[in-house]
Amino acid sequence: MPIWLELLILLLLTYGGGLAIGWVIWGRNRSGENHG
Amino acid sequence: MRSLHRVRIAVLAGALLVVLLALLGAQMNASAMIERMSQQAARGIAEAGGRPVRALFVSPNGWPSRHPLLIGGERLDEDVRGRVAKAVAAVPGVAGVRWADGNTLADSAASIPSPRHCEQDVAGLLRARTIRFEESSARIDAASRSLVNEVAAALRPCLGSIISVTGHTDSSGSEAANLALSLARAEAVRDALVARGIPRGGLRVRGLGSQRPVEGLSPADPANRRIEFAVVATEPITPTPVDMPGPR
Repeated sequence: MPIWLELLILLLLTYGGGLAIGWVIWGRNRSGENHG
Repeated sequence: MRSLHRVRIAVLAGALLVVLLALLGAQMNASAMIERMSQQAARGIAEAGGRPVRALFVSPNGWPSRHPLLIGGERLDEDVRGRVAKAVAAVPGVAGVRWADGNTLADSAASIPSPRHCEQDVAGLLRARTIRFEESSARIDAASRSLVNEVAAALRPCLGSIISVTGHTDSSGSEAANLALSLARAEAVRDALVARGIPRGGLRVRGLGSQRPVEGLSPADPANRRIEFAVVATEPITPTPVDMPGPR
């Protein structure tokens, strides 16, 4: 497996993990919209 | 719904940025990385005595890779190939090793328990002590149970081999009875080993009666009552070759 592919997979997983955590913490009930 | 649309665009833009970052990062670091690994691998190969072997850190498509391809080792024997592959695999950063001309397990024979070893281990255990039976019975003496435990433990690395369990008796009594008794005792030992987790299919029992006394002993000597273990066919279980070269 080329190094760029390994790095790409690693970074994409990290990015996806970060998005998932953010969604769980802030995004689920979108409370920001209700309170302006 | 406008904000959802904007979020989607932001996520995609982020992903694109990540892809660019990965490609750029690989572009900047990969060549220095494989340069360092090549040098360390070459040193390891030389130390392992595999001079003609070269480790190429490229993927099948020619990209820099952490999975080196070993070439030039066609004439080396398996032992040296094993050492070479191990030396290269030990270089920090190397992910897995493969040979250009088919693979051999990177773990050298030394780390795979050889079935002969088990035979010797068991023989060593039984040299000092013997598995004893109750008089003219095939019940294993209670005092010998711990010895059977040790024998089972010594046989465990050789699972996958065929191990023969042979019972012997001294020459007192009729030979027909001795044959039956020696077989029954060998079977008792087999059952005891099966109860301790040794697969039944790998154990072959035989009873030889008093036909083969211990060398140097008279056939009537009670010390001839014994159980012998021998590895008949060798087929040791090898470690799962996870990201390591498999058999050639």
